[in-house]
Amino acid sequence: MNLKKVLSPDTVWIDLKADTKQGIIEEMIDRLVAAGKFSNRAVVLEAVMDRESKMSTGMQNGVAIPHGKTDEIKSLVAAVGLNKAGVDFDSMDGEPCTIFIMTLSPVKRTGPHIQFLAEISRLISQASERDKLLACTTHQEIYDLLTGK
Amino acid sequence: MQETAHAATNAVHHAAAAAEHLTEASGHSITHLMMVLIIQLAVIIIAAKVGGFLFQRFLKMPSVLGELASGMLIGPYALGGMFEIPGLGILFAEQMGFAASAELYGIATLASIILLFLAGLETDLAAFLRYSVVGSFVGLGGLLTAFVLGDVCAVFWPGNGIDSFMDPAALFLGVISVATSVGITARILAEKRKMASPEGVTILAGAVFDDVFGIVTLAIVMGLAKVEMGGGQVNWGAIGWIALKAIGFFVVVTALGLIFARKITAAIKQFRSREMMVSTCFGLALLLAGLAEMAGLAMIIGAYIMGLALSRTDLSHEIEHHLEGVYNILVPIFFCVMGMMVDFSAMKPVLIFGSVYSLLAILSKVVGCGIPAYLMKFNMRGSLRIGLGMLPRGEVALIVAGIGLASGIIDQGIFGVAIMMTVITTMLAPPLLVKSFEGGSGLREEMAGTGEDIETIELEFPSPDIAEFLLNRFIKALKQEEFFVHNLHTEQPAYRVLKDDIAFTLIQDVDKVVVNVPHANQHVARMILLEELLSLSDLLESTKQMKGLDKMGTDLMQGMFA
Repeated sequence: MNLKKVLSPDTVWIDLKADTKQGIIEEMIDRLVAAGKFSNRAVVLEAVMDRESKMSTGMQNGVAIPHGKTDEIKSLVAAVGLNKAGVDFDSMDGEPCTIFIMTLSPVKRTGPHIQFLAEISRLISQASERDKLLACTTHQEIYDLLTGK
Repeated sequence: MQETAHAATNAVHHAAAAAEHLTEASGHSITHLMMVLIIQLAVIIIAAKVGGFLFQRFLKMPSVLGELASGMLIGPYALGGMFEIPGLGILFAEQMGFAASAELYGIATLASIILLFLAGLETDLAAFLRYSVVGSFVGLGGLLTAFVLGDVCAVFWPGNGIDSFMDPAALFLGVISVATSVGITARILAEKRKMASPEGVTILAGAVFDDVFGIVTLAIVMGLAKVEMGGGQVNWGAIGWIALKAIGFFVVVTALGLIFARKITAAIKQFRSREMMVSTCFGLALLLAGLAEMAGLAMIIGAYIMGLALSRTDLSHEIEHHLEGVYNILVPIFFCVMGMMVDFSAMKPVLIFGSVYSLLAILSKVVGCGIPAYLMKFNMRGSLRIGLGMLPRGEVALIVAGIGLASGIIDQGIFGVAIMMTVITTMLAPPLLVKSFEGGSGLREEMAGTGEDIETIELEFPSPDIAEFLLNRFIKALKQEEFFVHNLHTEQPAYRVLKDDIAFTLIQDVDKVVVNVPHANQHVARMILLEELLSLSDLLESTKQMKGLDKMGTDLMQGMFA
């Protein structure tokens, strides 16, 4: 699928600052609010934390995919952020996470939402690809890498 | 506004009057002709379906043979031509040497187009490419041997007036013996659980090549035959040119179709209505069928190409699914009409020729497909299995024979021979194939693994009910993600999931949900499954909020026995 349709240069960040799981999720949501993707921060945060409460989205090898469903969102919102120092995200392998992929969808949505998550996960399933992503130094570099420019 | 309506009504009246006038020459009004057609169709549909059912149920034979047999029985050369019905006359009378009226033949032609369109849609181009080496040798070997033997048989048989390899009738006998009908073989392979055996894979791959090359061969022969029937001389230069044109048409149109199929379906999807999408695709198939005929080929070639082009899109199963009903009703009409055309009196003089032709048709596939198989690591047993698997001719042979008869290239006798060969090969293949699969491996040495990179994800649940419940949730989630999910209608609940390049299968095996997914697409399957599993916790939470089940039960029954 074409990631360009979903990602935009203002929703990819190399410099997430927070050092806790809750902090990373809040920071990403704040940045999305700042980018004008939605306004009701509290509702969206609740949706994402609700999903985290069922099972942590910290996967393996430093990847986390926090996501949530709420009617505050009108159409798929996606963001990718890096925190190169690593954050404890309660991940499956216990390792700190460095790559964060967030998706937010309406509750009654139709469209390739999980598929988007899966597609990015597939892209970074190789260690070499993750290294390339972590070596990016600007937002634009991440965007170009993921959208295959 | 009213004036326009009035004008329109007038126009309709004029058209109807003109039509009445036109058909006055034949002594009947359009209404009468249509009435006859509808009654004919009624008899044909019921006879064909009952015949097909009886053959399948009691003789364990493919239903197509039953449909053919009912056609022979009710046709003008048997019962249909014997009894006069009051007010109607003879129901199936021969008209100008042809067993079916133009109207009836038109419906049969439409059926043949649907049949080939669906055959194209079902073609597994991925398998075509993946097993191209083995498949192409087996398919091509069978095709060349069958074509040459079929053609030469006609040339060397004394007294049939065919004396040259390039005679249109000889070419047609060649083409008729080419097309394998793999449906019968596939059913037996599935029943015997041999579909995934090396022989099974080779037969199915070979059959795809056989289909594609068969259509190209038909295209060339149609081109040649049309020139020759028009009185033109065909020298080798002209043959080369016609062949080039036919192959060119096939390659160029198929390539264009494959390139633009995604764009075309993307545009069609804007309708957002499945019926609209399916109907538009079918309309395109009819259009290409007409264009193929205009280009000097045959309509079925165009229909097949359109099917082939759409086979790689995610709409293919949707179209198959929606056309299934039309197919089930129209295609038996086609086979029944083909049966009606068998003139028994015309067949008497060609019975021996027919037997020899049928025998050669059997030999050509067993030898023609068997030798390439033998050269590719199969032993004698394996090669024989492959040859026998490619043996049955069916739908396409009948369609080609029908085209030959309708265009006057072959006569009633040769048409009968073609039907005879189809029936014999189709009847012989199942028992022989089953017998051949007794015994050990068909490989001379273990063939290298086919390297299918498929992952199996298994989830076990406490009961089949929960497995079924989660499978349905999963299917719903896939549809929300805009996947096409198709029920395969097998005994075990099984689904095929498609979207663009992604394809995987979902199976419920008692209390397990099994997902077979190519490694490259496993992420999406795993993630959607996970989200559905997690959503169960919401569901459990909400059941706690239901008022007591006892209370709900009492409310339901309250007052029933007042």
